Amino acid sequence: MAVVELKEVTFSYNDEPALKNLSFKVEQGDFLGVVGPNGSGKSTLLKIIEGILTPDEGQSLVRGKAVKEYARRLLARELALVPQSFSLDFDFTAREVVEMGRYARKGLEGSRFGIDELLDKLEISALADRPFPQLSGGEKQMVVLAQALAQEPGVLLLDEPAAHLDVSYQLRLFDWLKRLNDEGLTIVCVLHDLNLALLYFDRMLMLSDGRLFASGPTEEVLSPVIIEAVYGVRAYTHRHAGRTFLTFSPRTRPTRKEKVHLVCGGGTGSYLMRELVDLGYSVSAGVINAMDTDEVTGRELGLAIAAEAPFTPITDEAHEENLALIRGADLVILTEVPLGSGNIRNVSAFAEAARLGKKVRALERVEELDFTGEAAGLLAGIEGLRYLRDAGHVLTELEETGEWES
Amino acid sequence: MRSKKLARNGTIAVMAVMLFFVAAFFLSLALGPADMSLGQVVKYLFQGRVSGEVNSTIFWQIRMPRVLLALIVGAALALAGAVLQGLFLNPLTDPYVTGVSSGAALGATLSFFFKLPAIPWLSLLAVAGGFGTLIFVYSIAKRRGVLNIYQLLLGGVTMSYLFFALVSVLMIKSGRDLHAVVYWLLGSFSGRGWTEVKIALVIIPLLFVPFFFTDELNILLQGEERALELGVEVERVKNVLFFVAAAVTAIAVSVSGIIGFVGLVVPHLCRLLIGPDHRKLLFLSIFMGAALMALSDLLARVAFAPSEIPVGIVTIFFGAPFFIYLLRRRTA
Repeated sequence: MAVVELKEVTFSYNDEPALKNLSFKVEQGDFLGVVGPNGSGKSTLLKIIEGILTPDEGQSLVRGKAVKEYARRLLARELALVPQSFSLDFDFTAREVVEMGRYARKGLEGSRFGIDELLDKLEISALADRPFPQLSGGEKQMVVLAQALAQEPGVLLLDEPAAHLDVSYQLRLFDWLKRLNDEGLTIVCVLHDLNLALLYFDRMLMLSDGRLFASGPTEEVLSPVIIEAVYGVRAYTHRHAGRTFLTFSPRTRPTRKEKVHLVCGGGTGSYLMRELVDLGYSVSAGVINAMDTDEVTGRELGLAIAAEAPFTPITDEAHEENLALIRGADLVILTEVPLGSGNIRNVSAFAEAARLGKKVRALERVEELDFTGEAAGLLAGIEGLRYLRDAGHVLTELEETGEWES
Repeated sequence: MRSKKLARNGTIAVMAVMLFFVAAFFLSLALGPADMSLGQVVKYLFQGRVSGEVNSTIFWQIRMPRVLLALIVGAALALAGAVLQGLFLNPLTDPYVTGVSSGAALGATLSFFFKLPAIPWLSLLAVAGGFGTLIFVYSIAKRRGVLNIYQLLLGGVTMSYLFFALVSVLMIKSGRDLHAVVYWLLGSFSGRGWTEVKIALVIIPLLFVPFFFTDELNILLQGEERALELGVEVERVKNVLFFVAAAVTAIAVSVSGIIGFVGLVVPHLCRLLIGPDHRKLLFLSIFMGAALMALSDLLARVAFAPSEIPVGIVTIFFGAPFFIYLLRRRTA
């Protein structure tokens, strides 16, 4: 039996619909995140679950029984909530605040409960005798978490618990949630930070405009396609240092027709790739070795890339591919990529672009990045670049990416 | 650390207030137009009433009921204030914001206006006015099973204005009886006897009720929604406590008039001494309120002897500066 279940719940604030025919189940032991834009109904959802709000239609069930049929005291033994923020202007000590969480279990047989052990466990024993109003925001939130845990609930609901916390408390809080979940506590957490969601949660619900837009494993729900559909921003998935994370770009600028090709590598093109994509250009790049930072970034951004195998000098095949991309481009940019024997052919590709009459730009420090040594054949490439520059084909300033258009 | 803990537990504060209460009780019995020694007070207490002896008669027929009435009314107003401040989460709340006092005032003024005999009409009409207002304000604030605290406050304050306008009209029309009405409105224990004490005794059992809700009152300081989440049946608690606070206020006002500032200041003073925990706060407020009311009445009797001033003037006179001090302290 699901510990929490919403069945076709519809709810309106006055005439403003907040939830529309929403159904889902939370199973024992779930570690479930709920995301969605502002006003998508996340907080309303929690209030429906805990019976603070009553649905206009449909049902909210806890362990198979309608929430409205629970006495508040009995419901408080099943569910506990950690709110976004919490105000109490009276001089109760942190311990007294935590003890208030025992209200629903007061006078029960076998209700011995160690407040001290709980404070110890959450590493907030030092706060026990301090007046609650004097604690910092992060400390308060840990005390409120303790208050909720003192209810010994089966399900812990959290409403953007980390919204006002610094990064240290954010991570500490979510680490605790993870541990508590490992110990068997079912957790449903509304949150805004999609990267925190990716980092911690197994399963996600995505709400949009009061409806359930998607649900399932976190990495599937937080895909760029879904995020773009729900939030209206461009989202990109990155893998870095063994973790998946998201970056976002506003989708406020119009899509442009012009195509830009980057001759780059070694991470020198990543910034430009992102900027140009955000500006609405279609971007390609080459030749870059696979697994090179620029290659990874380009792939994550979905660019067309002429790629070469790792640590391999540019082959004819890759070079041709690069030239094909260049021929399709309106502007070709040579970044400050270090030049060595492996990638010197990129310079001739760049020269070819100039010869084809493409607009070309090279970033300023290109000459200092000559790692070709004295090999005469390779030097020709660099010489060619110098020639192009001196002949006025290549401008070495590219301060603003949009500037070339005019 | 130990002494700090002791202070926080409030053992010292409670003992001090209890001593203060006992002292106020005996002092109020002893002093007055006819002074008695403490020895005499103790003697009369144990002897019971001895007919024919003037001082004994004064003690049992005049002073004892008056002091008991002051103690009960003081306790009632302080407790009602403490409960309502907790319920409304508003430090500026006093028992009179419920509007029941002005309802009682209207009832009392009507009895003066129609020159009805004070016993039983004055108290009867005052109680009826108080409870009538209580029910009216309550029904305004209750919507779909939820008691809206803000509507309760605003409804109460609005009714107060309305009733005082009516009282003023009656006062202007009543002409020469104005003095009696004003005296009553300002609050006084002058001339009250055992009849009023008997009416006020109804308050005593009601004073126990909030002690069953101290945990709930503490939790409600975190807001109604949080209280629901922690398992409190908020509506039931609000209904019971609002009714009790308003009822004891209505009864207190009906026997003593409108005595200001006790219900506002005493809970604050007690919070200062013992902290916000209602488990201790309610207890302390009752004894502090009783003692301060008895002393205020004592001052009302002796300050300008042989004439008396309304006790409500004494409480305002001391209460107002103290409250301003509290406000300053809070913002500092």
